[in-house]
Amino acid sequence: MTAGVKTLIVIFSFGMIVASFLIGWVAKRKVTSAQAYFGGTGLFGPFVVGFSTMAAVASAFAIVGIPGIIYSTGNTMTFWMLSSAAFAMAYMILGKKVRAMAELGPVASLGDISDLRFNNNRAIKAIMSIVLFLGCVAYLASQIKACSTLFAHLLGWNPILAGFVIFGVLTIYTAISGEVGGILTQAFQGLVMVIAGVIMIVAFFSITKGFGPLLEVVSTAGKVTDGEITKVFSADILNAWGVFPGSVAMAWMIIPILGTIGQPQVLTRMYALKNPKDMPKLGLYASLSHMIVGFFAVVMGYGALFLVGKGLIKPLASGDQAVFAFADYVGVHAQLFVYAAVLAAAMSSASLFLSLTSGIISRDLPSAFGYRFSSEKQMKISRITIFVLGVLSILFALTSSEMVAILGTFGWGTLMSATFPVFIIGLLWKKASSQGVLAGLITALGLNIISLILVRTGFKWPGALPWYVNVITASIAVTVFISLFTKGATEEDLDERVKAVIDL
Amino acid sequence: MNLSKKTTLFIVLIAILWVTITIMGWTGNWFPAMFLGLVLMILHMMLGSAQNGKLNKRLFFYPLLCWLILWTMSFALSYHYGNLFAGKLPNFTILGFHPSFAWTILTYWIGGVATLSLGFVVQKDLWLSDKNWEEFKRKIAKMNEEKGGEYSDGRS
Repeated sequence: MTAGVKTLIVIFSFGMIVASFLIGWVAKRKVTSAQAYFGGTGLFGPFVVGFSTMAAVASAFAIVGIPGIIYSTGNTMTFWMLSSAAFAMAYMILGKKVRAMAELGPVASLGDISDLRFNNNRAIKAIMSIVLFLGCVAYLASQIKACSTLFAHLLGWNPILAGFVIFGVLTIYTAISGEVGGILTQAFQGLVMVIAGVIMIVAFFSITKGFGPLLEVVSTAGKVTDGEITKVFSADILNAWGVFPGSVAMAWMIIPILGTIGQPQVLTRMYALKNPKDMPKLGLYASLSHMIVGFFAVVMGYGALFLVGKGLIKPLASGDQAVFAFADYVGVHAQLFVYAAVLAAAMSSASLFLSLTSGIISRDLPSAFGYRFSSEKQMKISRITIFVLGVLSILFALTSSEMVAILGTFGWGTLMSATFPVFIIGLLWKKASSQGVLAGLITALGLNIISLILVRTGFKWPGALPWYVNVITASIAVTVFISLFTKGATEEDLDERVKAVIDL
Repeated sequence: MNLSKKTTLFIVLIAILWVTITIMGWTGNWFPAMFLGLVLMILHMMLGSAQNGKLNKRLFFYPLLCWLILWTMSFALSYHYGNLFAGKLPNFTILGFHPSFAWTILTYWIGGVATLSLGFVVQKDLWLSDKNWEEFKRKIAKMNEEKGGEYSDGRS
């Protein structure tokens, strides 16, 4: 890459960081209450919330990791990445109920909804917060590490300096404007991802001339070797199932489709919507924007396969190079937009998880342990927490590689295991008891930690099924089973208003 | 469709389905488990789409049933063509795609959005009508009024 291109990437990326900061700065005017600061509750229309949700769901892993997985193992991952219909499914299942909970009382966090549904049960709130915290910190650290390392490598900077330039600015605007700024900047970053996606999809078609030539190249290229690196091609890479065991394809269909509803990025955005009648439009905007970003990630993997198979570039040492290798081949405009998309994806997910994590530390966990503060004080504490957490996260992510890798085990499945008992079962079923949900959450916490240890020791899971499927299943089964025999927060013990929400 | 008396049955079925799908994944029966995954999803959507315990039949037929049929076809066709052309270059393509993968694009991805995302917008009133939402808000306001300070919970 030439010095001129690097300079252009810096100007382009810096422009996006400045624009995000300005949006966050202007957004602080809308922060008039704790509900606005912590949840953006009832403030936005479906377009903004839809783009913000998609951007927060599609992390840097979607832009860099997914093309790498497709380059390495073929189409198995497309079940996950082309799961655009999942947003509509999520809103259909839970949208009106979560939004309706915000009519019952001041709702600014997932902990508030848990309080309303389970009669201020502190144990449920505390354990749910701990599991969510583990998932959120894992996401946050991985966004910071991936993005800072990438830009540091590109510009020849120290990773900590790159981390502070990108995520330091993000920390400032998140602290100032909370979720109001978070939602607006994420919507802007989502738009950048969509524009980059359209440009790169066009570039893919212009280079490969479509899927027919791609299929032919991948099916007939055989082995391509350069030095010690060999890429083995086969026709099966581009059939529906890829080269992973079928159980992985099954998990990568069910977990993202149904699991979208269990992601805090999706749940918290349900109550950010001003009018619940707009929930279907929200589903459509999130689905359409995700279609573009999802397809963008998929064709970047295909683009790299095509170029290597045709002998136009050398086989890649690591799958994660796929999107950059393709962009480098296409030229300057592609490089600009790919780096912008990676930055946008990392920033949008990081700001969401930073604000969620600080909300858990400064608001939900203290309240679970009986400490209550006024709205003003909550916001003040949260701003300080975001600053401290932002700085610590940058330092932690860039100096503790081993620990970040360990935490990286947690993620989508971990978050699902905490939210399914409380919100999905809790808001669909009046008989979901506080004892059942608590038992489900304890199961989730325990099994997530045990699985983390087993994953680190190289344990082989039965049928090659991803570990988190077992944890999610156990937490749901325990919740339902115990609820059948217990009655806490059900029947007469269930708030009449919550009954009305479940009936809605 | 009245689901009000069937909610517990649906939830127990959901739990049983999660356990069954997981065990089938362990034992290599992943393909039939994918269809059970669709049943799992439609049970959730039926519960979530009902208003006052009743699921509108039009909403059930489109988008829910249309989606279920489309995705069932999608997996069956992908499996069929995946086996037919295992390890070799297929002798035909569908819009340039491998005949197995074409269904992921056409029915799973585009079809999923055309049924669920679009159908949700088309049938939005059957999911939440203005009347039901306004009634809900009135009901909540009335409960809050009747109970006075009782509902001013101590949440922070």
